[in-house]
Amino acid sequence: MRIQVRRAGGFAGIERRAEVDTTGRPDAAEWHTLAERALSAGRATPPPGVPDGFSYRITVDGRTAHCADPGLTEDQRTLIRRVLKEGA
Amino acid sequence: MTRNGGFEPVFCTIIPPHVLDRLAQSDDPALSGRARRTIQRDAYERTRRHLTTVAGAPAVALLADAEPGKPQRTVYDARHGTGLPGTKVRGEGDEPGQDATVNRAYAGLGATFELLLKAYARDSIDGDGLPLDATVHYDEDYNNAFWNGEQMVFGDGDGEIFLDFTHAIDVIGHELAHGVTQYTANLTYYGQPGALNESVSDVIGALIKQYTLGQTADEADWLIGAGLLAPSVTGKALRSMKEPGTAYDDDVLGKDPQPATMDDYVRTGRDNGGVHINSGIPNHAFYLAATTLGGHAWERAGQIWYDVLTGGDLQQDALFADFATLTVKAARARYGDGDELQAVTKAWERVGVRTL
Repeated sequence: MRIQVRRAGGFAGIERRAEVDTTGRPDAAEWHTLAERALSAGRATPPPGVPDGFSYRITVDGRTAHCADPGLTEDQRTLIRRVLKEGA
Repeated sequence: MTRNGGFEPVFCTIIPPHVLDRLAQSDDPALSGRARRTIQRDAYERTRRHLTTVAGAPAVALLADAEPGKPQRTVYDARHGTGLPGTKVRGEGDEPGQDATVNRAYAGLGATFELLLKAYARDSIDGDGLPLDATVHYDEDYNNAFWNGEQMVFGDGDGEIFLDFTHAIDVIGHELAHGVTQYTANLTYYGQPGALNESVSDVIGALIKQYTLGQTADEADWLIGAGLLAPSVTGKALRSMKEPGTAYDDDVLGKDPQPATMDDYVRTGRDNGGVHINSGIPNHAFYLAATTLGGHAWERAGQIWYDVLTGGDLQQDALFADFATLTVKAARARYGDGDELQAVTKAWERVGVRTL
Protein backbone atom coordinates (compact mmCIF):
# COMPACT_ATOMS: atom_id res chain seq x y z
CA MET A 1 0.00 0.00 0.00
CA ARG A 2 1.30 3.46 -0.94
CA ILE A 3 0.25 6.21 1.44
CA GLN A 4 0.98 9.77 0.33
CA VAL A 5 0.40 12.97 2.28
CA ARG A 6 0.61 16.49 0.92
CA ARG A 7 0.42 19.35 3.38
CA ALA A 8 -0.28 22.84 1.99
CA GLY A 9 -0.95 26.30 3.39
CA GLY A 10 0.05 27.19 6.92
CA PHE A 11 1.48 30.51 8.09
CA ALA A 12 4.57 29.92 5.98
CA GLY A 13 2.67 28.67 2.95
CA ILE A 14 5.32 26.02 2.41
CA GLU A 15 4.22 22.73 0.93
CA ARG A 16 5.42 19.36 2.24
CA ARG A 17 4.95 15.91 0.80
CA ALA A 18 5.91 12.46 2.01
CA GLU A 19 5.11 8.89 1.13
CA VAL A 20 5.21 5.54 2.89
CA ASP A 21 5.17 2.22 1.05
CA THR A 22 4.00 -0.41 3.50
CA THR A 23 5.17 -3.34 1.38
CA GLY A 24 7.23 -5.69 3.49
CA ARG A 25 6.86 -3.65 6.65
CA PRO A 26 6.19 -5.61 9.81
CA ASP A 27 3.61 -3.00 10.88
CA ALA A 28 1.85 -2.96 7.49
CA ALA A 29 -1.49 -4.11 8.87
CA GLU A 30 -1.50 -1.29 11.38
CA TRP A 31 -0.75 1.25 8.61
CA HIS A 32 -3.55 -0.15 6.44
CA THR A 33 -6.14 0.16 9.20
CA LEU A 34 -5.05 3.69 10.01
CA ALA A 35 -4.98 4.75 6.36
CA GLU A 36 -8.45 3.36 5.62
CA ARG A 37 -9.91 5.15 8.64
CA ALA A 38 -8.21 8.42 7.77
CA LEU A 39 -9.40 8.16 4.19
CA SER A 40 -13.01 7.35 5.02
CA ALA A 41 -13.22 10.35 7.37
CA GLY A 42 -11.91 12.68 4.65
CA ARG A 43 -13.75 14.73 2.05
CA ALA A 44 -13.78 14.53 -1.72
CA THR A 45 -12.85 18.21 -2.09
CA PRO A 46 -10.66 20.42 0.12
CA PRO A 47 -12.62 21.77 3.11
CA PRO A 48 -12.38 25.55 3.61
CA GLY A 49 -10.15 25.42 6.68
CA VAL A 50 -9.16 28.52 8.65
CA PRO A 51 -6.74 31.41 8.00
CA ASP A 52 -3.16 30.08 8.09
CA GLY A 53 -4.40 26.56 8.82
CA PHE A 54 -2.74 23.58 7.15
CA SER A 55 -4.73 21.66 4.56
CA TYR A 56 -3.94 18.05 3.75
CA ARG A 57 -4.42 15.67 0.86
CA ILE A 58 -4.18 11.97 1.68
CA THR A 59 -3.80 9.50 -1.18
CA VAL A 60 -3.90 5.75 -0.58
CA ASP A 61 -3.25 3.59 -3.63
CA GLY A 62 -4.75 6.22 -5.88
CA ARG A 63 -7.77 7.03 -3.69
CA THR A 64 -7.71 10.61 -2.41
CA ALA A 65 -9.34 12.47 0.48
CA HIS A 66 -8.92 15.97 1.88
CA CYS A 67 -8.96 17.41 5.39
CA ALA A 68 -7.80 20.58 7.16
CA ASP A 69 -6.70 21.85 10.55
CA PRO A 70 -8.10 22.12 13.14
CA GLY A 71 -10.82 19.67 12.08
CA LEU A 72 -8.80 16.47 11.77
CA THR A 73 -9.90 13.17 13.24
CA GLU A 74 -7.40 11.46 15.53
CA ASP A 75 -6.73 8.85 12.85
CA GLN A 76 -6.02 11.52 10.26
CA ARG A 77 -3.74 13.40 12.63
CA THR A 78 -1.83 10.25 13.54
CA LEU A 79 -1.47 9.13 9.94
CA ILE A 80 -0.36 12.55 8.72
CA ARG A 81 2.17 12.89 11.53
CA ARG A 82 3.63 9.44 10.91
CA VAL A 83 3.85 9.79 7.14
CA LEU A 84 5.45 13.24 7.31
CA LYS A 85 7.89 11.99 9.94
CA GLU A 86 8.76 8.54 8.67
CA GLY A 87 7.98 8.87 4.98
CA ALA A 88 10.35 9.78 2.19
CA MET B 1 2.01 59.20 17.34
CA THR B 2 -1.20 60.27 15.71
CA ARG B 3 -4.37 60.10 17.72
CA ASN B 4 -7.72 60.28 16.10
CA GLY B 5 -10.33 62.77 17.06
CA GLY B 6 -8.69 63.47 20.38
CA PHE B 7 -9.46 59.94 21.51
CA GLU B 8 -7.78 59.12 24.80
CA PRO B 9 -7.79 55.61 26.16
CA VAL B 10 -9.13 55.37 29.67
CA PHE B 11 -6.54 52.87 30.70
CA CYS B 12 -3.24 52.01 29.20
CA THR B 13 -1.65 49.41 31.36
CA ILE B 14 -0.25 47.13 28.75
CA ILE B 15 3.23 45.91 29.44
CA PRO B 16 5.15 45.84 26.19
CA PRO B 17 6.85 42.52 25.52
CA HIS B 18 9.88 42.69 27.75
CA VAL B 19 11.43 39.69 26.19
CA LEU B 20 11.54 39.88 22.46
CA ASP B 21 14.07 37.08 22.40
CA ARG B 22 14.66 37.39 18.74
CA LEU B 23 13.20 39.77 16.42
CA ALA B 24 12.13 37.73 13.85
CA GLN B 25 4.64 25.94 -4.42
CA SER B 26 4.29 25.38 -6.82
CA ASP B 27 1.78 25.30 -9.76
CA ASP B 28 0.01 22.14 -10.73
CA PRO B 29 0.24 22.26 -14.53
CA ALA B 30 -1.66 18.98 -14.80
CA LEU B 31 -4.86 20.77 -13.96
CA SER B 32 -6.45 22.14 -17.05
CA GLY B 33 -7.73 25.69 -16.99
CA ARG B 34 -11.33 24.58 -16.75
CA ALA B 35 -10.74 22.21 -13.86
CA ARG B 36 -8.74 24.84 -12.04
CA ARG B 37 -11.48 27.42 -12.41
CA THR B 38 -14.05 24.95 -11.15
CA ILE B 39 -11.96 24.12 -8.12
CA GLN B 40 -11.31 27.77 -7.41
CA ARG B 41 -14.97 28.68 -7.66
CA ASP B 42 -15.98 25.76 -5.49
CA ALA B 43 -13.45 26.51 -2.78
CA TYR B 44 -14.22 30.21 -3.03
CA GLU B 45 -17.90 29.61 -2.37
CA ARG B 46 -17.31 27.25 0.48
CA THR B 47 -14.78 29.55 2.08
CA ARG B 48 -17.11 32.51 1.70
CA ARG B 49 -19.99 30.65 3.30
CA HIS B 50 -17.76 29.40 6.07
CA LEU B 51 -16.34 32.81 6.87
CA THR B 52 -19.76 34.44 6.77
CA THR B 53 -20.96 31.82 9.20
CA VAL B 54 -18.01 32.42 11.45
CA ALA B 55 -18.32 36.20 11.35
CA GLY B 56 -22.06 36.04 11.81
CA ALA B 57 -21.76 34.09 15.02
CA PRO B 58 -22.69 35.98 18.17
CA ALA B 59 -19.78 37.82 19.71
CA VAL B 60 -18.25 36.31 22.80
CA ALA B 61 -19.79 37.85 25.88
CA LEU B 62 -17.62 40.38 27.63
CA LEU B 63 -16.17 39.26 30.91
CA ALA B 64 -17.84 40.78 33.93
CA ASP B 65 -14.86 42.94 34.78
CA ALA B 66 -14.15 44.10 31.24
CA GLU B 67 -13.51 47.80 30.86
CA PRO B 68 -13.45 49.79 27.63
CA GLY B 69 -9.89 50.43 26.48
CA LYS B 70 -8.46 47.54 28.46
CA PRO B 71 -7.58 44.15 27.04
CA GLN B 72 -9.12 40.96 28.37
CA ARG B 73 -6.46 38.39 27.67
CA THR B 74 -6.52 34.69 28.40
CA VAL B 75 -3.75 32.29 27.50
CA TYR B 76 -4.44 28.57 27.41
CA ASP B 77 -2.07 25.62 27.26
CA ALA B 78 -3.01 22.74 24.94
CA ARG B 79 -0.29 20.67 26.64
CA HIS B 80 0.73 19.26 23.24
CA GLY B 81 -2.76 18.02 22.50
CA THR B 82 -5.22 19.42 19.97
CA GLY B 83 -8.23 20.17 22.14
CA LEU B 84 -9.12 23.89 22.10
CA PRO B 85 -8.85 26.07 23.98
CA GLY B 86 -7.03 23.85 26.52
CA THR B 87 -6.23 24.66 30.13
CA LYS B 88 -6.26 28.29 31.26
CA VAL B 89 -2.78 29.28 32.42
CA ARG B 90 -2.83 33.07 32.52
CA GLY B 91 -5.68 35.55 32.75
CA GLU B 92 -5.77 39.34 32.47
CA GLY B 93 -3.67 40.99 35.13
CA ASP B 94 -2.05 37.77 36.31
CA GLU B 95 1.66 37.92 37.02
CA PRO B 96 4.03 36.34 34.49
CA GLY B 97 4.66 32.67 35.13
CA GLN B 98 7.55 30.32 34.41
CA ASP B 99 6.53 29.52 30.86
CA ALA B 100 8.14 32.03 28.48
CA THR B 101 5.85 30.94 25.65
CA VAL B 102 2.78 31.85 27.69
CA ASN B 103 4.34 35.18 28.63
CA ARG B 104 5.24 35.99 25.04
CA ALA B 105 1.71 35.19 23.87
CA TYR B 106 0.23 37.35 26.63
CA ALA B 107 2.56 40.24 25.80
CA GLY B 108 1.88 39.89 22.07
CA LEU B 109 -1.87 40.04 22.64
CA GLY B 110 -1.29 43.18 24.71
CA ALA B 111 0.91 44.81 22.08
CA THR B 112 -1.68 44.14 19.38
CA PHE B 113 -4.46 45.51 21.53
CA GLU B 114 -2.41 48.61 22.25
CA LEU B 115 -1.59 49.40 18.63
CA LEU B 116 -5.23 49.01 17.58
CA LEU B 117 -6.35 51.25 20.43
CA LYS B 118 -3.71 53.95 20.32
CA ALA B 119 -3.12 54.22 16.61
CA TYR B 120 -6.64 53.53 15.34
CA ALA B 121 -8.88 54.04 18.39
CA ARG B 122 -10.13 50.47 17.96
CA ASP B 123 -11.23 48.63 21.09
CA SER B 124 -9.92 45.10 20.46
CA ILE B 125 -10.26 43.16 17.23
CA ASP B 126 -14.01 43.53 16.87
CA GLY B 127 -14.00 47.20 17.92
CA ASP B 128 -16.11 46.28 20.93
CA GLY B 129 -13.74 44.90 23.53
CA LEU B 130 -13.65 41.30 22.36
CA PRO B 131 -11.65 39.16 24.80
CA LEU B 132 -8.39 37.97 23.28
CA ASP B 133 -7.73 34.28 23.64
CA ALA B 134 -4.64 32.34 22.64
CA THR B 135 -3.66 28.71 22.98
CA VAL B 136 0.01 27.76 23.10
CA HIS B 137 1.81 24.39 22.94
CA TYR B 138 -0.69 23.11 20.39
CA ASP B 139 -0.02 19.54 19.24
CA GLU B 140 3.49 18.08 19.08
CA ASP B 141 6.30 19.56 17.00
CA TYR B 142 3.62 21.65 15.35
CA ASN B 143 5.07 23.95 12.68
CA ASN B 144 2.30 26.48 12.48
CA ALA B 145 0.13 29.17 14.02
CA PHE B 146 -3.42 29.98 12.93
CA TRP B 147 -6.62 31.87 13.69
CA ASN B 148 -9.61 29.53 14.03
CA GLY B 149 -12.30 32.18 13.79
CA GLU B 150 -12.40 32.71 17.55
CA GLN B 151 -8.87 32.55 18.90
CA MET B 152 -5.18 32.24 18.07
CA VAL B 153 -3.37 28.92 18.15
CA PHE B 154 0.41 28.49 18.36
CA GLY B 155 2.60 25.47 17.83
CA ASP B 156 6.03 25.00 19.38
CA GLY B 157 7.70 24.19 16.07
CA ASP B 158 9.73 21.04 15.59
CA GLY B 159 13.03 22.67 16.52
CA GLU B 160 14.54 21.47 13.24
CA ILE B 161 12.88 23.85 10.82
CA PHE B 162 10.71 26.08 12.97
CA LEU B 163 11.00 27.35 16.50
CA ASP B 164 8.16 28.33 18.84
CA PHE B 165 5.76 30.54 16.87
CA THR B 166 5.34 33.00 19.75
CA HIS B 167 8.95 34.12 19.20
CA ALA B 168 7.83 36.57 16.52
CA ILE B 169 5.53 39.32 17.74
CA ASP B 170 4.53 40.08 14.16
CA VAL B 171 3.16 36.53 13.90
CA ILE B 172 0.99 37.12 16.96
CA GLY B 173 -0.20 40.39 15.41
CA HIS B 174 -0.73 38.65 12.08
CA GLU B 175 -3.08 36.08 13.60
CA LEU B 176 -5.08 38.65 15.55
CA ALA B 177 -5.33 40.78 12.41
CA HIS B 178 -7.16 37.88 10.77
CA GLY B 179 -9.72 38.51 13.48
CA VAL B 180 -9.90 42.22 12.62
CA THR B 181 -10.42 41.34 8.96
CA GLN B 182 -13.08 38.79 9.87
CA TYR B 183 -15.01 41.44 11.79
CA THR B 184 -14.63 44.11 9.08
CA ALA B 185 -14.09 43.52 5.36
CA ASN B 186 -14.18 39.73 5.84
CA LEU B 187 -12.07 39.16 2.74
CA THR B 188 -12.63 35.72 1.25
CA TYR B 189 -9.69 33.47 2.01
CA TYR B 190 -9.02 32.47 -1.58
CA GLY B 191 -7.22 33.92 -4.59
CA GLN B 192 -6.68 37.69 -4.68
CA PRO B 193 -9.08 38.56 -1.84
CA GLY B 194 -7.32 35.84 0.15
CA ALA B 195 -3.91 37.30 -0.68
CA LEU B 196 -5.24 40.70 0.44
CA ASN B 197 -6.47 39.07 3.65
CA GLU B 198 -2.97 37.65 4.20
CA SER B 199 -1.30 40.92 3.28
CA VAL B 200 -3.43 42.94 5.69
CA SER B 201 -2.35 40.52 8.43
CA ASP B 202 1.31 40.88 7.46
CA VAL B 203 0.96 44.69 7.38
CA ILE B 204 -0.66 44.86 10.80
CA GLY B 205 1.78 42.28 12.17
CA ALA B 206 4.73 44.34 10.92
CA LEU B 207 3.21 47.53 12.34
CA ILE B 208 2.82 45.92 15.77
CA LYS B 209 6.47 44.93 15.76
CA GLN B 210 7.55 48.42 14.67
CA TYR B 211 5.25 50.09 17.17
CA THR B 212 6.60 47.91 19.98
CA LEU B 213 10.19 48.68 19.01
CA GLY B 214 9.46 52.36 18.30
CA GLN B 215 10.90 52.02 14.81
CA THR B 216 10.42 54.26 11.83
CA ALA B 217 9.76 52.81 8.38
CA ASP B 218 13.45 53.24 7.51
CA GLU B 219 14.64 51.49 10.67
CA ALA B 220 12.33 48.47 10.35
CA ASP B 221 13.45 45.20 8.79
CA TRP B 222 10.05 44.57 7.15
CA LEU B 223 10.46 40.85 7.75
CA ILE B 224 7.60 38.56 8.75
CA GLY B 225 8.51 35.72 11.07
CA ALA B 226 12.11 36.70 11.75
CA GLY B 227 13.40 34.44 14.55
CA LEU B 228 11.08 31.54 13.66
CA LEU B 229 13.51 29.61 11.50
CA ALA B 230 15.77 27.12 13.28
CA PRO B 231 19.50 27.91 13.11
CA SER B 232 20.16 25.19 10.54
CA VAL B 233 17.79 26.76 8.02
CA THR B 234 19.25 29.13 5.43
CA GLY B 235 16.99 32.13 5.71
CA LYS B 236 16.21 35.20 7.76
CA ALA B 237 12.41 35.00 7.99
CA LEU B 238 9.31 33.64 6.24
CA ARG B 239 8.48 36.70 4.17
CA SER B 240 10.03 40.02 3.31
CA MET B 241 7.83 43.00 2.58
CA LYS B 242 10.87 44.95 1.47
CA GLU B 243 12.14 42.30 -0.94
CA PRO B 244 9.49 39.63 -1.47
CA GLY B 245 11.06 36.36 -2.60
CA THR B 246 14.28 36.76 -0.61
CA ALA B 247 13.30 35.66 2.91
CA TYR B 248 14.78 32.16 2.64
CA ASP B 249 16.50 29.84 0.19
CA ASP B 250 17.05 26.50 1.81
CA ASP B 251 17.69 22.86 0.84
CA VAL B 252 14.70 21.64 2.84
CA LEU B 253 12.32 24.61 2.69
CA GLY B 254 13.03 25.57 -0.90
CA LYS B 255 13.03 29.20 -1.94
CA ASP B 256 10.69 31.98 -0.85
CA PRO B 257 8.11 31.98 -3.67
CA GLN B 258 6.72 35.47 -3.16
CA PRO B 259 6.47 37.89 -6.09
CA ALA B 260 6.98 41.63 -5.57
CA THR B 261 5.08 42.76 -8.64
CA MET B 262 2.22 41.65 -10.91
CA ASP B 263 4.74 40.55 -13.57
CA ASP B 264 5.54 37.56 -11.36
CA TYR B 265 2.01 36.88 -10.09
CA VAL B 266 1.69 33.15 -9.35
CA ARG B 267 -1.39 31.33 -10.61
CA THR B 268 -2.05 28.25 -8.51
CA GLY B 269 -4.92 26.40 -6.91
CA ARG B 270 -2.85 25.42 -3.89
CA ASP B 271 -2.51 27.32 -0.63
CA ASN B 272 -6.06 28.58 -1.19
CA GLY B 273 -5.01 29.96 -4.53
CA GLY B 274 -1.61 31.20 -3.39
CA VAL B 275 -2.77 33.44 -0.55
CA HIS B 276 0.65 33.29 1.14
CA ILE B 277 2.44 33.75 -2.18
CA ASN B 278 0.78 36.63 -4.00
CA SER B 279 0.38 38.58 -0.76
CA GLY B 280 3.94 39.67 -1.58
CA ILE B 281 2.54 42.16 -4.10
CA PRO B 282 0.26 44.20 -1.79
CA ASN B 283 2.86 43.73 0.97
CA HIS B 284 5.48 45.39 -1.18
CA ALA B 285 3.08 48.18 -2.13
CA PHE B 286 2.58 48.94 1.55
CA TYR B 287 6.33 48.91 2.15
CA LEU B 288 6.89 51.32 -0.75
CA ALA B 289 4.16 53.71 0.43
CA ALA B 290 5.38 53.62 4.04
CA THR B 291 9.07 54.14 3.26
CA THR B 292 8.32 56.89 0.77
CA LEU B 293 6.36 58.73 3.44
CA GLY B 294 8.91 57.95 6.17
CA GLY B 295 8.32 58.28 9.89
CA HIS B 296 6.18 55.76 11.74
CA ALA B 297 4.51 53.43 9.27
CA TRP B 298 1.43 52.97 11.46
CA GLU B 299 0.64 56.67 11.26
CA ARG B 300 -0.04 57.62 7.66
CA ALA B 301 0.40 54.51 5.49
CA GLY B 302 -1.06 52.31 8.23
CA GLN B 303 -3.97 54.70 8.74
CA ILE B 304 -4.82 54.61 5.04
CA TRP B 305 -4.74 50.79 4.93
CA TYR B 306 -6.79 50.62 8.13
CA ASP B 307 -9.34 53.06 6.69
CA VAL B 308 -9.78 50.78 3.67
CA LEU B 309 -10.08 47.62 5.76
CA THR B 310 -12.70 49.08 8.08
CA GLY B 311 -14.36 51.69 5.88
CA GLY B 312 -17.16 49.51 4.57
CA ASP B 313 -16.38 49.88 0.85
CA LEU B 314 -13.99 46.93 0.60
CA GLN B 315 -15.92 43.96 -0.77
CA GLN B 316 -15.33 40.39 0.37
CA ASP B 317 -14.25 39.38 -3.12
CA ALA B 318 -12.05 42.45 -3.73
CA LEU B 319 -9.17 42.12 -6.17
CA PHE B 320 -5.81 43.88 -5.85
CA ALA B 321 -7.00 46.71 -8.12
CA ASP B 322 -10.11 47.24 -5.97
CA PHE B 323 -8.06 47.46 -2.81
CA ALA B 324 -5.49 49.74 -4.45
CA THR B 325 -8.17 52.08 -5.74
CA LEU B 326 -9.70 52.32 -2.28
CA THR B 327 -6.32 53.20 -0.74
CA VAL B 328 -6.00 56.07 -3.19
CA LYS B 329 -9.48 57.27 -2.25
CA ALA B 330 -8.73 56.88 1.45
CA ALA B 331 -5.46 58.81 1.12
CA ARG B 332 -7.27 61.68 -0.56
CA ALA B 333 -10.17 61.61 1.90
CA ARG B 334 -7.93 61.74 4.94
CA TYR B 335 -4.95 63.76 3.77
CA GLY B 336 -6.09 65.64 0.68
CA ASP B 337 -4.04 66.05 -2.46
CA GLY B 338 -0.59 65.71 -0.92
CA ASP B 339 2.38 63.44 -0.28
CA GLU B 340 0.20 60.61 0.98
CA LEU B 341 -1.83 60.44 -2.21
CA GLN B 342 1.35 60.55 -4.28
CA ALA B 343 3.11 57.87 -2.24
CA VAL B 344 0.17 55.47 -2.36
CA THR B 345 -0.50 55.96 -6.07
CA LYS B 346 3.19 55.46 -6.94
CA ALA B 347 3.48 52.40 -4.71
CA TRP B 348 0.74 50.53 -6.57
CA GLU B 349 2.15 51.70 -9.89
CA ARG B 350 5.53 50.21 -9.02
CA VAL B 351 4.06 46.80 -8.19
CA GLY B 352 2.01 46.83 -11.39
CA VAL B 353 -1.47 47.19 -9.89
CA ARG B 354 -3.68 49.65 -11.70
CA THR B 355 -5.68 52.12 -9.62
CA LEU B 356 -8.80 53.74 -11.02
